[in-house]
Parts: sequence; structure tokens; C-alpha cells
Amino acid sequence: MGKIRPDIGFKRELSRLSGSQLNQCMQCGNCSAVCSLAPAERPFPRKEMVWSGWGLKDKLIGNVDIWLCYQCGDCSTYCPRDVKPADVISAIRQKTYQHYARPRFLGKLVSDPAWLPVAIAIPVVVIIAILSLAGTFRIPEGPVDYSAFFPHGLLNGTFSAITLFFYLLASLGIGRFWKDMKRQTPPGKSGMKSLPVFSVLGEILSHSSFSGCGSRKPGKVAHMLLFFGFALLIMVTLYAIWATVTHHYPLPITNPFKILGNMASLMIYTGLGIMIWQRLFNRRVFGKSGYSDWLLLVSIGLLTLSGTLVQLARLGEWSVAYHLYFFHLVAVWFVIMYLPFTKLGHIFYRTTALLYARTIGRK
Amino acid sequence: MMEARKKHMALAVCTGCGIGECIDTDKLDDAAGEALQGINCIQHGSLCSVAGLAELNRMVGEKGVDRLAVAACSPRVKSTEFELDGVHVERINLREQVAWVMEPDHEDTQMCAEDQTRMVLAKLDTIKENSPYIPDHLSSDILVVGGGIAGLTSALEGARAGYRVHLVERSDRLGGYAGRIYKMLPGSEESATLKEPDLHEKVKEVEGHPGIEVYLESTIESISGEPGNFSVALNNRLVSELQVGAVVTATGWKPYNTEKLAPLGYGSPRVKTLEEFEQFVQEKQLPDRILFILCAGSRDEKHLSYCSSYCCGAALKQALYVREKNPNAEVYIVYRDIRTPGFQEEFYKMVQADDAIFMTKGVIEKVSDTEDGVEVTVTESLLDDRVTITSDMVVLATGMVPNTTADLNLQYRLGKGLPEIEYDFSDSHFTCFPYETRRTGIFAAGTVRAPMDMEMSGEDGAGAMMKAIQTVECVKRGEAVHPRAGDMTWPELYMERCTDCKRCTEECPFGSYDETEKGTPLPNPARCRRCGICVGSCPERVIGFADFSINSVSAMIKAVHVPDEFEEKPRILVFVCENDAYPALDAAGVNRLKYSPFVRIIPVRCLGSINKVWISDALSHGYDGILQIGCKPGDDYQCHFIHGSELTEQRGENLQETLKTMMLEPERIRTRFIEITEHHEIQEMINDYAEEMELIGPNPYKSM
Repeated sequence: MGKIRPDIGFKRELSRLSGSQLNQCMQCGNCSAVCSLAPAERPFPRKEMVWSGWGLKDKLIGNVDIWLCYQCGDCSTYCPRDVKPADVISAIRQKTYQHYARPRFLGKLVSDPAWLPVAIAIPVVVIIAILSLAGTFRIPEGPVDYSAFFPHGLLNGTFSAITLFFYLLASLGIGRFWKDMKRQTPPGKSGMKSLPVFSVLGEILSHSSFSGCGSRKPGKVAHMLLFFGFALLIMVTLYAIWATVTHHYPLPITNPFKILGNMASLMIYTGLGIMIWQRLFNRRVFGKSGYSDWLLLVSIGLLTLSGTLVQLARLGEWSVAYHLYFFHLVAVWFVIMYLPFTKLGHIFYRTTALLYARTIGRK
Repeated sequence: MMEARKKHMALAVCTGCGIGECIDTDKLDDAAGEALQGINCIQHGSLCSVAGLAELNRMVGEKGVDRLAVAACSPRVKSTEFELDGVHVERINLREQVAWVMEPDHEDTQMCAEDQTRMVLAKLDTIKENSPYIPDHLSSDILVVGGGIAGLTSALEGARAGYRVHLVERSDRLGGYAGRIYKMLPGSEESATLKEPDLHEKVKEVEGHPGIEVYLESTIESISGEPGNFSVALNNRLVSELQVGAVVTATGWKPYNTEKLAPLGYGSPRVKTLEEFEQFVQEKQLPDRILFILCAGSRDEKHLSYCSSYCCGAALKQALYVREKNPNAEVYIVYRDIRTPGFQEEFYKMVQADDAIFMTKGVIEKVSDTEDGVEVTVTESLLDDRVTITSDMVVLATGMVPNTTADLNLQYRLGKGLPEIEYDFSDSHFTCFPYETRRTGIFAAGTVRAPMDMEMSGEDGAGAMMKAIQTVECVKRGEAVHPRAGDMTWPELYMERCTDCKRCTEECPFGSYDETEKGTPLPNPARCRRCGICVGSCPERVIGFADFSINSVSAMIKAVHVPDEFEEKPRILVFVCENDAYPALDAAGVNRLKYSPFVRIIPVRCLGSINKVWISDALSHGYDGILQIGCKPGDDYQCHFIHGSELTEQRGENLQETLKTMMLEPERIRTRFIEITEHHEIQEMINDYAEEMELIGPNPYKSM
């Protein structure tokens, strides 16, 4: 490679987001020695730490290794200078979400606490606008019936359309991410294989790579609970959408899908509990948790909690049922629509990186 | 050398610590009586106890004893207990070198103990009265050469201790390198920030001190004489003559030759050395991008192969200058390893806290001055296989090269300067004897002796001054300064028999001997370290100390009863260097590592002090083999006297000639080297040699 241009702005951003004094790194290589992912000839994350110290954005955004990491935290545990490589990697990921976000302001919206009011205001305004146009923006009389407030067809139609729109925007970023990975980590002599979709899916479902995690052992269980809880809820939601068309909706509490949905909520509560506990009381391994960490945990928590409450309010005929429902819809927006731009975006980026890595034969 | 009053000899035997159980001590008394008629003998179960010492003192008082042999433990222990006023005491090491290493109650052990006793008694009988050597015209003044931080500190410490100090500085101002810098590293203070230079206070104190005479713009024309009485001729506007007792040389360093740094871009106005940049910072505007190359010409076989230890700290310091003077500036540092010893680590961390300073490990491939700036190509970094970093200025962290000490203009036969080791730093055994050079009474302080930072240089100046003061005081009392501190004997020459062969003048590692045009040695005993290498060197055997002479050692050799060849009891004479080998032998004793009882041990001042005549004495007396054990020679020599062991090896070749003419096997003389910590090798070393001697068979001269 030719000339490098140190970027102090990017360095400072990473430093701010990770709480790491990047210069303290003395390039000892302990992080690479303990990392189960580090390839022998390209020490990871040692070289990424040097790049961060020089603000080499071009080498860090679109870096496949950054996304293969399962955040086990061993590198931070064994760092003799307390430079927290694991947190630096998190910071690089955050910068990646922002880098590929289109329009750019969406990236900013969910990464900067100053923009939180706007981030909340957007779904609030949009939902009120939809309801006002439909002429249902008022508390309905009689027993609690959410479709009287937000007709099912309208809800499914608008929310699906908006989600698709956001994901379409995100896919442009993912495409550029793929190209950047290809430029930075070109395929070796054996070239590119066909997309190993099933093996990658198997790897994701089995959480096999988490087993290498030393310092954050409970991480695997917590992630599995959240992952499968989330997956179940999406299935239940899809079934519910189908049910609103073909069946009587809402479903009775004894419906197997309903039971499955509530079980999924319990899984998410447990997983979240472990994660929050770890972030609060295991500082040595987790370092300083940032805005993006808490935003994700809190929004998933509120989404699930408000969903449970909305269900209870319907069954118990609570007077705040529609307020809770409105709140729930905003939470859905936060988690689902904003997904590609928040930390949850790793669903897309990591999957893409895994696919790329396995395509070029990278273990 | 004169025979004084009649000798009153005595032998005191201790039977404690296992000696009594191993050796029949009554027989020792008998042996002593046979050797010296009328000798006074006592025995005690614990000679070093209060009761034992009381008995010893009573005997000494009653009998008027003036020479006493104490047969007990090693002379390395209980030395104050057995120090008796007006009595010359020699120790017989029955504990560590007989009782603890040989079969108890055995005929051979008993013979060894008796022989060792006889040997020491023979020595006691031959040694001369000693009158210490004290030079005429003693001076307590101390000359300090060089007015940098080491010299200034040295001068102040000397003056504060009450000594008159003459401080000679070549330039027109005091302060040296440290006087030209912009700011100082924090040193060992808790704060990690840079300090304002405080040297001017020291300069002011030196200039105002009534005990210090400062000579600016002065060089040294010549230094002659010896410790306690050096004559110094100064070359300043008025040539002055000084008399001093000791010298501290603190002439500092110069940066590594920049001509050799062209591959690193030196020659371009935008490429500077640390020293140049230190001035540049104080005079000019700083550009926005400055790159530091560490280890520029250091730790590199093609340049300086050592680490100068100061450059990393100085470069980090200058990185902070840049940030302070130009807050928009970015600093790039390319290093091989950052070395910030001691408290500098805290400072390093503080520099790291500034995120406008970028650091990477790497090797410089190329530096080229282009229109865009100075382009530095770095390989072996993690940034990439090969990267180019563009900056507006490059600073090369060059290493330290010591200034020459030839400017001392010593009027010594062995040269004008201080002898140097590999890297041109004046020689000193850094761990054992810092500040010492191979010229007694002349000490090196600061960067002329080893690469170091300012704080260490100051400490070094103080340390060297303490040694200089010690020299002045020791010389006044006629004592050796080091390493045999307090030794009052000195080499005396019987000049009538000297053949002007120059062996002593050439072989003395310390330049003690000057010589006349004819080659006659002119001894300067105050320069002497008392190693006795001249004793070993002299083919005419005219050099000797009062207690260590050709005669005294010959008498010891001949005091041993050598059984005839039919008894099959070989005798091996072991010359042991007192510095490392003797303690190693003692340690073998402490660890009860048994070895052959056929050895007879004679401690020597240095392997180099072994005279050829002792070898032929031993062979003609019937010893079967001679083992010489000394310190390790070579690049990392351990010899306290620099090349005593080396000389022994060289002389060994001549000795083989002698063996050939005597028709003896070459194995009969063997030299082995050992470190003080290698006591576990003693057993094998001695036993293997003893076995070898049994195989070779008895010395044919035995019964002659």
C-alpha cells in the first residue's frame, strides 16, 4: 500500500465511543495471542488497534475481521495496558452502521443521544398522521379493541411498507459493505466459492463460535435466549398478520401461537436480564457500556414489556390500554424500522461478513 | 624491607563447627611444633565465642605473640573477631575447605589439615614487616573535567564535603548538553509533566561556591603522577599547574556521526537530529506534521549496536514540545521498541494520552524529501506491509557516542586516555565497580562512561566524587582504594636484579609502571590495585608484597609433606583466585560437596600473580599436578583485574615448554575458570583432575 493519511477525527471518535486511550497500546500482541479468531499471519485485533491509533478509517470500515468477532472480551481481559480492544471493536462497528447509513442522518439519529427526541418524534408524528388520515385517532368506546384504534389492515400495510423502505435503504449500504470487504480482503488464490448460505445459517443458529468466548461466558446463553425469543416473536407476528386476514383476531390466550409468543417474551426478559446484569456489574470485562449498547437493550426491553402490557390491558380492560398500544407501536418502530442503523444492525452486517468470509475460504 | 623484631608465633585451633569431629586437632599442634619449635598452641571448642576469644587474647598477651595462625573457618567469615591489635593473623581454612568437604576421621583428611596448617605457618614465618606507601606532597584537591550535569554535580558534592575542587570546562560556559535544552524530563518526581530546566541554579551554586575553582575555555595539557599526587597542567589563557589527589572525568558525549545517517534523509534541511531539533524548537515556528524516527543509527550492527537509553525519552519530550508550541500539529513516532526505563514509564503514558501523537513500531526503509514533504517509507509495521507517511519535518533520535578521554593527556606509559571497552566507553565493571576506570584515582562519571539520562548523570557525578574522596583519604593512609580496599601492602621492587625486560610495565593492567628511556620500570605504587600481576610477570622474581612474595608462596609449596610414589597419595597444588574462585570453594564447602583430599590450596591475589617459579618449585617438590582456578576471561570478563586470567592462559603456553623440557605431561598444569556462583562445579572440577592425575601416574621428580 502507498501513502497513509492519519485521521485524527476518526481516531478521536473511536476513542470517545470506546472509552479507550488508543495510544496506550504498546503493540504487545496479547490481544491476538488470546483471540481464537486471529489468523497467524494477520494478527487480529492487534493490527486493528494500531489502525485505530492512526485513525485509518479506510482499513477499519468494511473490515471483515471486525464482524467475525463474537465480543468474547478476552482481548480486553488480557490487555496489560487497559486499551480495551473489545470496546474499540464495538466502536468500529458503530462507526460502520453510521458509515453505510443512507440517508446519512438516519445513522446519526440513533447514535447520538442529542438526536433521541427527533428519533422518538418521527414515529410519533408518522403514526399520528396515519391515524388522523384514517380518522381513528381517538380513544374508542366500549371493550378494548385495538383494531378500532388502528385497523389491522392499515397497520400491517403501512408498517410493512415503511419497514421494507428502511431495509431497502439499508441494503444499498450492505452492498457497499460487500464491495469494501472485497477490496480490503481480496479472495485468495482459490477465488470465491458460491455463497455458503446453509453453513452460515447453521453457524448462526448453533451459536457455535460463542463457545470460544472465555471472558463473557454467560453471553452465549443470553444471546441464544434473545435470538430465539426474537425469532419466535417474528414468527408469531407473521402468523398474527395472516390471522387478521383469515381468522378471528385477536387470538384467544390459549391459542398455541399466543402461548408461544408469551414464552418468547419470557426468553427475552431472561436474556436481557443477563445482559443488563453483565453490563452493570461486570465492568472489568465489559468496560464502559455506551449509548448504543443501552439504547438497544432498553428499546428491546420496552418493546417486549409494552407488548406484554398491551395484551394484559386488553384482557383486563385497562383504561390506559390505547396509550400503551401507541407506546408499543413506537417501540416497534425503534427496534424494527431503525434496525439497520442501530447495534441490532449486526444481524445484517455480521451475516454478510460471515457469508463473505466463508466465500473466500476464511475460517 | 627489613627484618624487625623477633617473631613470636602461635597457632590457635578451633574444634567447633565439625572440625573437631573430622580432624585430630592434637596432631595439628604436633605438626606445628615440628615445623616451628617453641610455637604456642591453644585449642578451643568455639574460638570465636566470648570465652574462646578471651583465651586467645590471654595467650597473645602473655606470650607476646605477634604472628598468629587461626585454624578455624574461612577467612571470609569472622574477620573482625580474629582481628587483633599488633598481631599479624593468617587463617587456616579447616572448616569450609577441609572438614566440610573431606571424609571425617580419615588419614588423607588428616594429612590435608596438617599440610594446610604447615603451609600457613610457613607463610607466617616468611612474611615481612610492611611499611605503607604514602606519596610525597599529598594533595586533597580533586580535579573535575567537564562542566556538564555530571561534572557540576560532582564538583558540588566534593565541595560540600569539604574538598577543594578544580572544575575544568572546554567551552566558555558551564552546563554542557543539559544547559542548552528547552525543557527537562520529569525524572523520578511524581508529576509526569515536563520541567523547566533547573541547571542554571546548579551553575550559579558552583560559580559561587568558595571551594570550587572554575576554569572556563580550558583544556588539559597533561596529567602525571599518581593518586594523592597528580600534577595537572592546564592550557588556558594563563597556563596553570595544579596538584590534585584524584580526578573525575565527566566529559560527556556527542551525537552519533550524522554523515552516516544519509539513508535516513540526513542532509535535507527538513531532517534534523534530536540535538538540532532541541535548538530549532526554541528558535523557529513548528510545522504541522513532524515525524520522529527512533533508534536512528542505534541498535544496528552497521551503526551503534547499543541502546543509548536516553533517546526514546528525549523524543517523547520533543513530541510534547511540538504539541505545546503548535496545537494544530500532529506528531508521528516510528519506533523499534519504546524504551522508557524506571519512572520514565509514567511520562511515556502521559505522552500517550495525547491523541495527536501517533505511534507505530516499524523499520525505516527510505526517507525522501519531496515537494509534498518528507516521505518516510516504513516496513515491518502493522499499518501495512509497506506504508509511506508524509510529514513536514523528520527528527532522527540519534544515539550517544562518548567523548574521547585521550584529552586527559595522561603521561602514562600505557596511553593518554582511559582504556576503553567495545563501544568506546571507558572501561569499568559496571555492576561491581561503577565509576572505576583502569586508571586508579581517575573516575569516569556520566555519559563518558555509559549512555544515560540527565538524572542518572547527576547521580553518577556524585558517586564518582565519593570514589575520588575515598581515593584521597585512602592514599593518605597508604591503603589501596579498590578492589582490595584497605590493603596496606604494595609491590616492592628489588631493582638491583631488574633486567629492564618491561614485562611488568607492559602487563600491569592499570598503568602503574612508567619507565625510563632505557626501559627501567618507574613504579607509581599509589596507582596500584595490588593484584600482583607484576609479581607473576617478573622472570627475575624481583617484585613482591610484604605478605605475598616469591618466597612466601614458595615456602608454602615446600611446607607440604609429599609422600613417596609407593604410597599412591598424589598431591595436587591448587592456586585459587581470592576474588571469585575462593568464595566458590567456600560455597562448595557450605554445601558439603565432597572433593579429593589430595588437594593443597594456596589462595592468590589474581591468577595473573602466579609466578612461573612456583610451578617449577611445585613440580620439583613432587606435586603431581597443578590446578589454577580463576575468574572467567573474554569479552564478559569477570576478572577483577581485567586480564589476569587471560595472562595466565598466555603464560600457560610458555609453561608447556617448561614441562616439555622437564619431560613431563602437559596435563600436569591445568587452568580452569569459574564464576562465583558456580560452586556446584567445584566438586567435578577437582575430582576429575584428581582422577586424571592418578591415571597419569606419579610425578617422576617425587623422590628426588
